[in-house]
Amino acid sequence: MEEKTIIFKGSTEGLAIIIPESYTADQVMTEVGEKIQAAARFFKGAHLNVTYRGILLTPEEETKLFSILDHYSGAIIGSLHVAAAAVVAEPAEGPAGRKPAAGPSLRRFFTKGQDESDCKFVRSTLRGGTRIQYEGSVVVIGDVNPGAEVIATGNVIVLGLLRGMVHAGSGGSREAFIAALKLKPTQLRIADLIARSPNDPDTTGAFPEIASVREGIIEVNPLYERL
Amino acid sequence: MGEVIVITSGKGGVGKTTTTANLGTGLALQGKKTVLIDTDIGLRNLDVVMGLENRIVYDLVDVVEGTCRVKQALIKDKRFDGLYLLPAAQTRDKNAVSPAQMEKLCAELKEEFDFVLIDCPAGIEQGFKNAIAGADKAYVVTTPEVSAVRDADRIIGLLEANDIRNPKLIVNRLRPDMVRRGDMMTIDDILDILAIDLLGVIPDDENIIISTNRGEPAVADSKSQAGLAYRNITRRILGEEIPFIDLAARHSLFTRMKKLFGFKPA
Repeated sequence: MEEKTIIFKGSTEGLAIIIPESYTADQVMTEVGEKIQAAARFFKGAHLNVTYRGILLTPEEETKLFSILDHYSGAIIGSLHVAAAAVVAEPAEGPAGRKPAAGPSLRRFFTKGQDESDCKFVRSTLRGGTRIQYEGSVVVIGDVNPGAEVIATGNVIVLGLLRGMVHAGSGGSREAFIAALKLKPTQLRIADLIARSPNDPDTTGAFPEIASVREGIIEVNPLYERL
Repeated sequence: MGEVIVITSGKGGVGKTTTTANLGTGLALQGKKTVLIDTDIGLRNLDVVMGLENRIVYDLVDVVEGTCRVKQALIKDKRFDGLYLLPAAQTRDKNAVSPAQMEKLCAELKEEFDFVLIDCPAGIEQGFKNAIAGADKAYVVTTPEVSAVRDADRIIGLLEANDIRNPKLIVNRLRPDMVRRGDMMTIDDILDILAIDLLGVIPDDENIIISTNRGEPAVADSKSQAGLAYRNITRRILGEEIPFIDLAARHSLFTRMKKLFGFKPA
């Protein structure tokens, strides 16, 4: 089953553009332009490293594609280059045309943003000195005590009192969120951003809260307001 | 077959040694055959607190290295029937003993004794690993200070990772007046963080300093507040249901009046 149109795929590494082999450079430009414009709201404010595969573009065409992406997406494009070993890749193979899935890295590649990802469940209180690191999301059923660390490429949910440090979206995704029944962390990190609790300890942790990134800063809101 | 209990805390200076000495003495006073092991090799204190320093001939390292038999190294406390001390070596370090050796020693001692209390050194390194190696149970000592509670939390995590489940908590050196003023963590604050069972609360008591300096455990002193608290803990260890002394007497006159009139206290 050969792809007939250009496909965008998000992953923890950034955005991948999969181009059908039959496309010409001009077709690529037009269609990428259209698709990006349609999805501009989705890309807005994101930091993206873009790879493409299917056909090989000349340096001039690459520059042009870069400017199209940069102009229409509203995202900050970090880099654009051809995906490693992509030029001769997919379509060459038999009637099925698609390469067999190759382990977790490929599965991660198909994960859309932060809405879907592998999930680790921790059913105990995380005490000081414990460190949970996971590619995907983490749900803790119990407290996260001071000195404990949860580091996840996806979201982190604590069904208990969060007093320790949580880093969500550790792979760089600012879409990630952190929610807790009581949020009194020493520090919260989402992607490359760091926030710490206010010094007045009484103002936090009264009700369930969610931390997410809005306009480049970590914002904490009551959970019920959003529901 | 006896029980091996390690008394630990993570942080130094919170009262592990004092607690070991007092609980050991308390258990002996209740007629239990008890041995105290000091695993703080290189910084031994338990012998001093017990007032048995001048009777040391052999020590823990001598025993595990086979220089002497266990019986030869045990110091019998002549004041309390059935109480023995196995002191630590002072001229060696923690690496002189291995967890496997401690396990063997504990297994051997619990055949003979009702209780084997292990005084754990501060920290989470080799000395800690040695101390917990042969333990069936653990008592975690903390003081009502944020730093001590942090370390206790870490220690509880490490104990659980080493399959010593359900450690019990002893809160030492509580000052009821400061708690009432709101200047000190309350027992509830501590239990909220650590989430383990409370075994007892020891009030801050000058008598402890006097008694440890003299080498006479406070538990044997009927006038000492802390001694009473240690006696209560001893009885709880033996399975009695002893209510906690209301050290804080937390309710002000106002809330007590509200209680009297049937309002829920705030």
